[in-house]
Amino acid sequence: MTTASKTKTGHLSYNRTVGVAAMQGRGFYYPWAVSVAADGRYFVLGRGSDSDPRGTRYTVMDYDEKYYGTFGEFGTGEGQSLWNAGTAIDSQQRLYQSDEGLHRIIVRNLDGDLLNTWGEFGADEGQLNGPTGITFTANDELLIVDHQNGRIQKFTPEGEFIGSFGTPGSGDGQLNLPWGICVDSAGDIYVADWGNDRIAKFTGNGEFVANYGSSGRGEGEFDAPSSVAVDDNGYMYVADWANHRVQVLDSDGAFVDVHRGESTNSKWAQEFLDTNTEEKEARATANLEPDIEFNTDDLHEESAHIEKYFWGPTHLVFDNDGRLLVVDSNRHRLQVFDVG
Amino acid sequence: MTTTMTSEKALMAHLMRRAGFGASSEELDRLVEQGYDETVEQLLDVDRPNRMSDNLIRRYHSEYSGMMGNLSAGANWMYRMVSTDAPLREKLNLMWHGVYATGYSKLANGKVLHDQIRMFERHGMGSFKNLLIEISKDPAMLVWLDNVQNHNGAINENYGRELLELFSMGVGNYSEHDVKEAARAFTGWTIGNTEYMTMKCARDSVWPYGRLSFHFEFKADDHDDGEKEFLGHKGNFNGEDIVDIICQQPATADFLSRHIYSFFVADEAPVPEWPYKPPRDPAAIAALSNVYFESNYSIKAMLRFLFKSDFFKSEEARFQRIKGPAELVASVLRLTEEYGQPNISMNPTSQQAQFMGQWLLSPPSVEGWHWGTEWIDSGALVERVNFASERFGNIDSPGVRSVVDRILDNSDEDLPPDEVVDRALSELGITEISDNSREALIDFAKKQSEIATAEQTPRERVVNILKLVGATPEFQRA
Repeated sequence: MTTASKTKTGHLSYNRTVGVAAMQGRGFYYPWAVSVAADGRYFVLGRGSDSDPRGTRYTVMDYDEKYYGTFGEFGTGEGQSLWNAGTAIDSQQRLYQSDEGLHRIIVRNLDGDLLNTWGEFGADEGQLNGPTGITFTANDELLIVDHQNGRIQKFTPEGEFIGSFGTPGSGDGQLNLPWGICVDSAGDIYVADWGNDRIAKFTGNGEFVANYGSSGRGEGEFDAPSSVAVDDNGYMYVADWANHRVQVLDSDGAFVDVHRGESTNSKWAQEFLDTNTEEKEARATANLEPDIEFNTDDLHEESAHIEKYFWGPTHLVFDNDGRLLVVDSNRHRLQVFDVG
Repeated sequence: MTTTMTSEKALMAHLMRRAGFGASSEELDRLVEQGYDETVEQLLDVDRPNRMSDNLIRRYHSEYSGMMGNLSAGANWMYRMVSTDAPLREKLNLMWHGVYATGYSKLANGKVLHDQIRMFERHGMGSFKNLLIEISKDPAMLVWLDNVQNHNGAINENYGRELLELFSMGVGNYSEHDVKEAARAFTGWTIGNTEYMTMKCARDSVWPYGRLSFHFEFKADDHDDGEKEFLGHKGNFNGEDIVDIICQQPATADFLSRHIYSFFVADEAPVPEWPYKPPRDPAAIAALSNVYFESNYSIKAMLRFLFKSDFFKSEEARFQRIKGPAELVASVLRLTEEYGQPNISMNPTSQQAQFMGQWLLSPPSVEGWHWGTEWIDSGALVERVNFASERFGNIDSPGVRSVVDRILDNSDEDLPPDEVVDRALSELGITEISDNSREALIDFAKKQSEIATAEQTPRERVVNILKLVGATPEFQRA
């Protein structure tokens, strides 16, 4: 039996929730990652569902939930994708998206027009097997988490191979089904080493620096982290995916803060409820934080029952105003936090 | 009839078809070495099964994590059936899902159906009394059979009726008065946030943030704690007391025994016919009922007795069951080993069971599916044969590749037609086959050799035989 964990605040302060569940159009259907453009717009990449392809799309919005439209679709054709995984924007404001189902990268402009598709399945240099997290260095080099090959690969924006580092395994510098990636202001690279329950840090040249965290549920411990972001002060923000929480570590890896999520009604959610008054009234009488004796220690269950909690956070990134966006995938929303 | 393996191995193959989803020839050899009784104990020891981890499934399949719909919840379950090393547990889950059939159409929430299957996993092999209490508290069941609308002073009889008719005793063993009194005892057994949750079900609402899982709640102020008279007993009964009385009834022992016999030994008539049709083997039912009482309602004890009984081991019992669609799909996929890790194709693959007549988590009614020969109609048969043949025909599947290697002893030379057929039958776990089926397979193998072209390899010719073996009546049965 477990009970809901205590929600701790400190370094992380809940700001708001944006987005709402929607199979198509305005909203998200299993959002998986988000990129922030120079103009402040959020490009939210949807994973969608294997049984319903409509969610395999970008939804474009901003912090105030102004809706700009959607683009992208499920499929194997040019510009289509199966398993959307990561997204990033380069200095020329081109939008990149990884597809771990088709092992390729799709490039668009911010209007959604297709510019390029590249990538080839395999394990040789420059080939990909399950590209997931992607990010750009300050020099506009694209880093791709080539997760099934247990390595990070570096490409030009046009898809020319530059180099790689990491091998599959659990030793220092090795990776086990890694997922997310980010680069800090000093150019160091951080990888969410999903299968090893840790964050791995490398120099910009791919030399191993350190691992942070270990397996578990305690402070500074992780269960299958999916994503990491680092602020200008060196704090690491980790989507502790299977613990369904976000943790903050300092630059030495010491624990700073943890949050289980605190979602409230987004603007879009409120608009839905305001036009569906019966559901709104029933919801108003419901206790959305019930005290339940769970028959499993799987935190997935807590998050399935308690709506405000993160449920499978897949990605986190800062917007242009320094707010932390947490992609709360199973709840089809972004929870936004102020930091510091 | 031709036997393709030793009697010990044939018996082990029978056990693994019934208590699991079949086994490869290689696995059977290992189990024979281990011994029959030890294998039975291993099958019954289900506390910590190894299988594909939830994390791995959830990472790749978003909807298998959130489970708003039922396709994904069913496909998630299929991964468990295919990857578990405790197959009896999943097999039993299939049985309970058929007995306590609960469906998506009214719930609009795949997660709560998934939760019910997980409940079967925890209690399906324990005390039958506990299982009945748990199913009575199960949130999906509470909505499915309207106990959320069963109130003190305004009863809804639906759950009380089905508890007696379909879940424990069967028609003819209780009165209408007993139904009403049982319903009174279950008043106040509901789910938390009843109004909001049932409204979301009725509206199929995913807004604003997806589905919410249900949880059981006992509302004391909505419970009728007055005196009740039930099956000859009097008292201020609640739901647990009702279950206790039910479990004491010989009719309950017979009803449960017949379900277990029908699922694991030989197909019986559909449940609605049970009041009018005697069991196929009355002595077996009586023996199982006896174990039920002697073991204080232990399902595990009943299964242990069954698997070690002569009526189960008997050669007459073999291939007397038609594999259910989900069972067939899982049995093929375990042999082909094509889902060693998550793959986007799992959804359409799992859906094949639906096309064969069994849409997991969407039974046709509270009666569940009618098993046995009712699985087979001309359309379903085509789907079943095509599925097995197609999957066994894919030489890229690791399991098929291994089977072919073993059949050819890792060589690239053709074998004589009768030998290649017998080896193929043995590899796919077919211990006995009718002379007609075997001759047809050998005839095919001969003709295939006669018209062999340079482009076709011996391996491809073996694969063609595997495809045909998948279509035999013997493979379609358990």
